[in-house]
Amino acid sequence: MPNGVIFLLNDFIKKYADGAAEHTEIRAQQAFSRGVTLVGGNLVSNTRTRTGGVCARVYKNGLWGFSSKGEYNEESVRAVLEAARDNALFMDRKLKGSKPPLLAAAPVQFTGTETFQDVDQKTLIDFISVLDDYMQKKYPDLASRAVGMRSNCIEKMLHTDNGSFSHQLFPRTYGMISMTAQTADGETVELFDVIGGGAGSFCDFYSDPLLFTDRIDALYEELMHKREGIFPDAGMCDCIIGSSVAGMVAHEAVGHTVEADLVLSGSVAASNLGKQVASPIVNMVDFAHTAFGEKVPLPVYVDDEGTKCEDAVLIKDGILTGYMNNLESAAHFGVNPCGNARAYGFADEPLIRMRNTAVLPGKDKLEDMIASIDNGYYLTRTANGQADTTGEFMFGVCMGYEIKNGKLGRALRDTTISGVAFNMLKTVDMLSDTLEWDFAGFCGKKQPMPVSMGGPAIKCRVSIGGR
Amino acid sequence: MEKLKQTALYVLDALRNAGADAAQCSVSEGKKEEFNIDAGAFSLLRSVFNSGVSMKVLKDGKMGQAFINSLEKEDIDAAALECVQAAEASVADEAYCIASFTENADFTDGTTTPDRDRFFDRVREFLDEIGQEFPKIMVEQIIAEYVEGHSVFANTNGVLYTQKNANYSVGAMYSAHEEDVTTSFNSFDVDFTDPGSHIMDLGSCREMFARCEAELAMQPLEGKFEGVALFSPACLDSMLSMIIDNFCSDSVIVEGTSPWREQLGKKVACDGFSLQVIPHDVRVVCGERVTDDGYISKDYDIIRDGVLQDFCLSEYASNKTGLSRAPSSSSCIGVPGGDKRFEELLAGIEKGILVCRFSGGEPATNGDFSGVAKNSFYIENGKIAYPVSETMISGNLAAMLKNIVGISSEVSCDGTTVLPYIAFGGITVSGN
Repeated sequence: MPNGVIFLLNDFIKKYADGAAEHTEIRAQQAFSRGVTLVGGNLVSNTRTRTGGVCARVYKNGLWGFSSKGEYNEESVRAVLEAARDNALFMDRKLKGSKPPLLAAAPVQFTGTETFQDVDQKTLIDFISVLDDYMQKKYPDLASRAVGMRSNCIEKMLHTDNGSFSHQLFPRTYGMISMTAQTADGETVELFDVIGGGAGSFCDFYSDPLLFTDRIDALYEELMHKREGIFPDAGMCDCIIGSSVAGMVAHEAVGHTVEADLVLSGSVAASNLGKQVASPIVNMVDFAHTAFGEKVPLPVYVDDEGTKCEDAVLIKDGILTGYMNNLESAAHFGVNPCGNARAYGFADEPLIRMRNTAVLPGKDKLEDMIASIDNGYYLTRTANGQADTTGEFMFGVCMGYEIKNGKLGRALRDTTISGVAFNMLKTVDMLSDTLEWDFAGFCGKKQPMPVSMGGPAIKCRVSIGGR
Repeated sequence: MEKLKQTALYVLDALRNAGADAAQCSVSEGKKEEFNIDAGAFSLLRSVFNSGVSMKVLKDGKMGQAFINSLEKEDIDAAALECVQAAEASVADEAYCIASFTENADFTDGTTTPDRDRFFDRVREFLDEIGQEFPKIMVEQIIAEYVEGHSVFANTNGVLYTQKNANYSVGAMYSAHEEDVTTSFNSFDVDFTDPGSHIMDLGSCREMFARCEAELAMQPLEGKFEGVALFSPACLDSMLSMIIDNFCSDSVIVEGTSPWREQLGKKVACDGFSLQVIPHDVRVVCGERVTDDGYISKDYDIIRDGVLQDFCLSEYASNKTGLSRAPSSSSCIGVPGGDKRFEELLAGIEKGILVCRFSGGEPATNGDFSGVAKNSFYIENGKIAYPVSETMISGNLAAMLKNIVGISSEVSCDGTTVLPYIAFGGITVSGN
């Protein structure tokens, strides 16, 4: 991003801050992305994208005007500001808004320290080719195999009329492997895993591809277990939701219901603030940038309304203590915002989004948790999840094991678990002392958004689908 | 449009100059105006002006792709170079290709005169009518938008298509509330071209709101049984999309994991069931005119009268497998209506469930699926007995098509799909 553009943006914001609009944001963004995928040795994706532009958002009497253009120059900045203001005026004229001005958070000045080092397409292709070659030669019995690599970086520069400024990079890189095997009865089973990666550049996480062959071996071994797997008995049961699945509990089952915009739309959390919604051993936080003294997988320091990011404590000792807010909802609820207003692309307006959402670890050992169940399941991998504003959730479970008399038994085929979050969380009686983050996902809520989620192994009762 | 054409030709030149043996590009410009309603009240007017250039090159049998959102020459030159470099780094594959020249054409679809004021008034009227007719409905969000696009698709084989289209769409997410009871959310999208359209009359809006209010009386379903699942048109769309992805798409056919891989020309569904791809249907709004590969899009049957006719393959997958390229890459699907009215279909179900939304995991490769039946109703002795909560359904997508109990004569059109109700037997329904 060229030097000096910051001052161009600032000049225009000042000009409009003197006008009729009450709150104005200007955000310039560019995004780089590389993706390569080998399926069965065929390179089916080999893509480089580069996008960028500028947007403005203006607030007037409780109504917003927004505009964006896919160019970043003086003319486009002027155009989006004017269009955003015109849009806010259009809405105000039609609806005669009557809400008070936004109370902007204290101005923030922040320049991030994240860096991003791009690599060429060949480096990515060479890397995954080695892994593909390994899979093909070592496991020729696989019905299909795929390996991919994604390396992305979003750069954001934000100015708001109250003097907040931020300039941040959001790099993310991760590899993926998937494999399919045929069962004795002619059906196929599949497993998928993320290998390496995190908030950084390719070279931060990957050097020798052969260092990742143990992940391929481990996934293959699991797949062989699954190939011989059984379908669980449908119905309510004791389960241990593995730590790699627990993030889905944090994000899908609870997280969405405590986003303040969904609370205002009548989510189950609206009537539960301050109430016991979970077992007293359950704690849940949406982390901004640091957790347990370490940087979280996808750190965010300033949100896209210019609010300094802080942790949002959602559940403390089983009691629902707060929501995730933007400036507008924070004013509605009379609380301080924690910086959850995030926009994905330059053409997107900030929405209330999660960042790094986790159920906090407990004190139990996984082996003790397994030993405590006579008849149930240990669910170790999830494929996807969906939630409802009622708190009803569903996760696809693509790997797990039955537990019989306190011991792991046969593997499971694909299944689904479901429940109502605040009911299920009240059944939690053990939490493992470990936490695992999943950082490779996107949350879908009008716009996609990179998020991370995490948690310990959770012992609870949920409904599981059979065949 | 002439400027976009010149840009497209410039892109092809840039790709050739960068070393491409063959190349294709799509150059587009467009705008979107979007009203947002959140928690039942207007919140935002969003205007987005966008442009884009997607490129694909072949060099020495290798392939590279790039996308930028700038039409500036210096950005195009840089992206062209990166695109060719991506191809050079690639792996040669004889199946890579660009479209052959057949005929060039210009397409114009949809509305040509956007009317922001009129559209706003109709959206406000829609919101007011929801409040008046369905007072228990809480509108969680409505996205009401006008979308306009101009694009040129061109390749070095002489292919050149121009497209102009513009339409309106309304997507709503809502739930019903009464005292402490809240239903699951449900949603719908409708596309249309007339800004004066009475939105409540489009698609199945009114019926879906009414059903959502009825869900307030939901109760848990006890036990587990195998019965009939009657899928609403909106829910049928998601089930058929899973069937297409799992059994007919590029990856599962090329990998050979589709259970239908060797079933072309064979019976995969009951008599009377046809699954069509219908971008040219008059009820579809601004349907696909040019395929992703660069051919003129045509309607076709995936399944006709129960027999598998075609997969949904790109030209790459076609070259890879020797099977035919699909005549369209559109996701606009249709199923012709059957011979029974919805009420007759319902009357014939002894024990089952009316499924209006399915929230499930990714189906297994063989089509096994399980998930939560949302916004759904228990059926007993031919009548809707009561709305259910926390109820799961499971089955197999391939087996379902061979166990069709009936297809309604009514079809619902939302501007993208034209679908009836279909009742499938052999579905496991489990409650608490």
